[in-house]
Amino acid sequence: MRKIRFITSAVLLSAGLWIMPGRADVDFNRYNTPEELCNILKEFNRDYPGVTRLHTIAHSPGNRMVCVLEIGPECGLEEKKLPAVFVAANMGGTVPLAGEAAVYLARLVLDKEDMRKDKTWYILPCGNPDGASSFFSKPLFSNCRNGRPHNDDMDDAVDEDGVEDLNGDGIISTMRVRDPEGAWMSIPGEPRLMKRADWSKGEKGIYKLYTEGMDSDGDGSINEDGPGGVNIGVNFPHLFKFHTADAGAWAGSEAESFNLIKFIMEHKEIAAIFTFGQVNFCLIPPQSGRKAAVDLSRIKIPERIAGFINADPDKTYTFEEIMELVQRLVPEGMEVTESMVAGFLGLGAVVNPLEDDLKFYRELSEKYKEFLKEKKLDDRLETPRASDGSFELWVYYHCGLPSFALDFWTLPKVKEEKKESPEITAEKLEKMSDEDFIALGEEKIAAFLKSAGAPPDFKAKMVIDMVKSGRMNTKRMAEMLKKMPKPQSKEGGDPKEKALLAFSDKELEGKGFIPWKAFDHPDLGKIEIGGAVPFADNTPPVRMVAELLKSQVPWVFELVNKLPRVRLAKTEVTSLSAGIFRLEAWVENEGYLPYPTAMGIRNNRILPVIVSLEGEGFTIHEGRKRSQVSSLKGGEIKKTSWILQAEKPIKLTIAVDTSTAWRDSKTVELGGKK
Amino acid sequence: MKRQIKTLLLLVTAGFLFVGPVHSKERINIPLSFDHYYTYDMVGEALKALHEAYPEKTQLDLIGKSEEGRAIYGLTISNPETGPALKKPGIYVDGNVHGNEIQAAEVCLYLADYLLGRYGKNPEVTQLVDKKTFYVVPIVNVDGRYHFFADPNTPSSNRSLRRPHDDDRDGLVDEDFPDDLDGDGNICQMRKRDPFGNFKTNPEDERLLVRVKPGEKGEWTILGNEGIDNDGDGLINEDAEGYVDGNRNWGFDWAPEYVQSGAGDYPFSGVGIKAIAKYIIDRPNICMAWDFHNSGGMYLRGPSNKTQNEFPRGDVEVYDYLGRQSERITPGYRYLIAWKDLYSTYGDVDGFIVQLRGAYFFCGELFVSASESFKSREEEKRAKPESGDDMSAYMGMGGRQLERLQFSDNLTQGELYKPWKPFKHPQYGDIEIGGWVKMSSRLPAPFMLKDLVHRNASAVIFSAKQTPEVSLEVFEVKKIGKDLYRVRTRLSNTKAMPSMSYLAQKVKLYPKDMLTLQGKNVEVVAGGRLTNIYFNKVEYKKYKPELQFTFVPGFGKVEHQFLVSGKNEVTICYVSRFAGELKKTVALKEGSSF
Repeated sequence: MRKIRFITSAVLLSAGLWIMPGRADVDFNRYNTPEELCNILKEFNRDYPGVTRLHTIAHSPGNRMVCVLEIGPECGLEEKKLPAVFVAANMGGTVPLAGEAAVYLARLVLDKEDMRKDKTWYILPCGNPDGASSFFSKPLFSNCRNGRPHNDDMDDAVDEDGVEDLNGDGIISTMRVRDPEGAWMSIPGEPRLMKRADWSKGEKGIYKLYTEGMDSDGDGSINEDGPGGVNIGVNFPHLFKFHTADAGAWAGSEAESFNLIKFIMEHKEIAAIFTFGQVNFCLIPPQSGRKAAVDLSRIKIPERIAGFINADPDKTYTFEEIMELVQRLVPEGMEVTESMVAGFLGLGAVVNPLEDDLKFYRELSEKYKEFLKEKKLDDRLETPRASDGSFELWVYYHCGLPSFALDFWTLPKVKEEKKESPEITAEKLEKMSDEDFIALGEEKIAAFLKSAGAPPDFKAKMVIDMVKSGRMNTKRMAEMLKKMPKPQSKEGGDPKEKALLAFSDKELEGKGFIPWKAFDHPDLGKIEIGGAVPFADNTPPVRMVAELLKSQVPWVFELVNKLPRVRLAKTEVTSLSAGIFRLEAWVENEGYLPYPTAMGIRNNRILPVIVSLEGEGFTIHEGRKRSQVSSLKGGEIKKTSWILQAEKPIKLTIAVDTSTAWRDSKTVELGGKK
Repeated sequence: MKRQIKTLLLLVTAGFLFVGPVHSKERINIPLSFDHYYTYDMVGEALKALHEAYPEKTQLDLIGKSEEGRAIYGLTISNPETGPALKKPGIYVDGNVHGNEIQAAEVCLYLADYLLGRYGKNPEVTQLVDKKTFYVVPIVNVDGRYHFFADPNTPSSNRSLRRPHDDDRDGLVDEDFPDDLDGDGNICQMRKRDPFGNFKTNPEDERLLVRVKPGEKGEWTILGNEGIDNDGDGLINEDAEGYVDGNRNWGFDWAPEYVQSGAGDYPFSGVGIKAIAKYIIDRPNICMAWDFHNSGGMYLRGPSNKTQNEFPRGDVEVYDYLGRQSERITPGYRYLIAWKDLYSTYGDVDGFIVQLRGAYFFCGELFVSASESFKSREEEKRAKPESGDDMSAYMGMGGRQLERLQFSDNLTQGELYKPWKPFKHPQYGDIEIGGWVKMSSRLPAPFMLKDLVHRNASAVIFSAKQTPEVSLEVFEVKKIGKDLYRVRTRLSNTKAMPSMSYLAQKVKLYPKDMLTLQGKNVEVVAGGRLTNIYFNKVEYKKYKPELQFTFVPGFGKVEHQFLVSGKNEVTICYVSRFAGELKKTVALKEGSSF
């Protein structure tokens, strides 16, 4: 039914207008549901049959599809020779913009042939379709949980007490209830916003806050067991949190997450992973400073093991020292790996980004900031840090791949009005003579009147005349000033809520924030309903979307162009006489990013570069038929060499293989005529 | 390719040489016999035979398939006439998670055979089968068991799930297995005469080697397991099957490969492991679980690593009670805490069952090397007590080697140890092959098997007997106003295990047991836990007093009091995951008896 009109990128760019694929007769004026995002991928697949393939990797408990679009020259092949980039969007299900960005990217990749000629793209526009559907449901409520029922309050019923749209405005907002034990108060200078009362400032709370709803099951709690489920966004194995309401029973407990993990682990060609959501590693590198289970430079060896490996249980050792101790004990030829020893000693997992990786994160972050500045998109609130158990952390720590999380919008920062301390205060005025006051001049007095909150018709000249005539003096003025109500403080409260309120007033005609309005609640009596509208803080109005994506999504290409790329920089054959040759090969990473990341070295997941000799008629005296170059930093070159014997002239191919950084080979001649 | 042909040849011969008197074509008779080991196929046949012999007491489920497509079976033993299986305390028993640890499956088979065979003959067994449900999964790593029998192996090789893994990181997968050079079905040791070697012939027995002391002349170099350099990389046997460990691949507290070898790429990457996890989840009545391995003679409880908290005191008491009793049932076995007394593990079945299913769990490490004894009483007295030699025993380095060799010579007529024989090795030249055979070191000789399986099945049975048995009584109905009654109930548990583990309560794993009071035209005015019967102290529940969340401690009771307004009668129901369901109806009148 739907008419599709694809427009080439040239037209698109020159028009300066992004027209949504799949709905070509409509401008970009809405967000797409998870189902619609899948349909768009299907249409891409239909229109680009040769270079795309659609994978349905899972069905959610809410029976929604999890779709991945593969784009690339090897899309028909199971075994890939070229590296791939994986893009996952909206894993938490609460960032609709991320899904649009993923589809936008897919569109760009299809249009930009040079971006897909030597790599594969896997694009997942919605990793948590059940959660993501909440944006399109009535009433509007941000729910990151999938459709799996879960008994949050561990009573006799499941999902029996969720939110309710009591005032019928289609939005789940906040209820505030006067309560003697209330911890909240409204902000005096901005009564629409609430803050926690700070006793140390002499404040007293008067409200309790609840999400809009009632006690549906009569157990004395409101909204304590709503529908769902697991937040797919925190259902991944790095620092997964057990025994919580919404993280899932274990990492990968859900079809959506398990099949995604499986897909990525089985596609060993994936070289980098982007996560579109609300976290931004391009702006703020992954968080450091977490306390690890064991400090690897000061390991204490448990007594029962210490005796076994000839170590002193009262001393601390570095990991390298322990490796040496253990290596001495095992029979020759038996290899002791770091992971064996770490497992034996129970050292646990890496929890902070490794320093070598932070180097590229920091450098790229500087470049990204410049990029945003150019686009005038740098004036924004900070993005949140990655959650424990998140997809983007798993990518870095467990896949050992560069993990680039990107978001595309946060609320603009509120411009703090500069508070100039008034030149004249009541105290100063009290000590001032009338003459001194008049001597201040009209301009300064006018400023003083304004800062003191005097009525506008109370002009400086008038005051001067009054003082001159004796109808007013500095003492009386000081007294009056002291009695004036002080300007009310806007301090406290959530800066994000403040930013939302400002944005709502300025850009949304106030629709991002519901004014508090009285309501008669069945359980709580007289209450007020109001506050922030769900999604208003992370989902820009549709009129902004096209421009945001157009200016920011191409950063992905900047980063993809920095992937490690391995090649044979140089080969050299030296004849050592009598049919003996030295063969040398220099392997280079001509990309910017390291192969693999430091974490990829540590977690052993990324194979070394394999340099192998292919051909017949030679024997190896030194070196191996399949040698390994364990790692190459950006731009680094390492040499591999062999001593070979070839009786007759032969041709020999040196092949350089990686699964994520391309391949290269060169044929050399041994003993042939030069 | 060469390896595969060899494997085929072995398949034909293995049955005759190493399995014992019964082989797969032979019909399996009930009762089962435990003077031999069952191959993978035979275990399946045995389960089918048990099910056919006792169709009304058993159910045979296909839990799932392995990486190589072999069936994983689970046998349910329960008496449907005394209630549905899921409403009785469940005891889950599995084994052979590691492919080489085969006697674990025999423990499972024996337990099933014993419970079913003694039903109706022994009142204790009859009661157990009537009151409990047993879930028996003899082989977790079905591919592993298959290959352990079919392929040449050492006693310790072939643990892994059959998930390809590039151990030596050369881009090739599982390309350099050990090789059965002499074609005897075993992977033994290789040694080479070498005046600069670290070993010399043991003067007490020329088959054994001892390390040379400084200044002594060497005689031998040990070259490791039988094999050649299959892939021409200068290393021997460096990339055999896997390694993905079926006991490191579970969902709770899983840690990646670099933290612990054998983890697999992600939790539940093993297809069979995932299927078994689902089987367990689908049986929420499982309150006791056993997972059998070899070796060392240990009954291990969690926690699995030190980052996990020690179990709540109440649970430790249950473990101590069961663990100490198991030590008595099986002499030489020790009750230990896994991470503290052995080593840390992540993603093991223990964590999954205890922390995510709320059951109690023991890992049984079967077989103690000391049982291979060859000593008179006098010699026994003179001998120094051995300690911790089991690990080194199967590595072939232990101090008990001589005695074990004498055991082999005199009690198995030499079947456990292969004498050294010359061999022309493609890389090492003239070498000798010999040493402990596959079916040695970690496995009891067939004549000792029955004792091992019976004692360990008895440890399981003791724990099964201690699963909760709760009874409900209404011990008071007292009129306290017009149409107002005080109803007091008591739930008592005659067994050691509480009706919900303390850990499960602590982490709020699932809803607690529910006690409800209902009746026609009856209102529950108040209800709560009666904490002091003499002073009428009650912790009343503010909302929904007719529904109480509770649990019954081991060897203990819990009492509740309800203030009920109405006439006629009330029904009190108790529903527990572990302790089943109970119901009592009483009339609302003074002194009503029950």
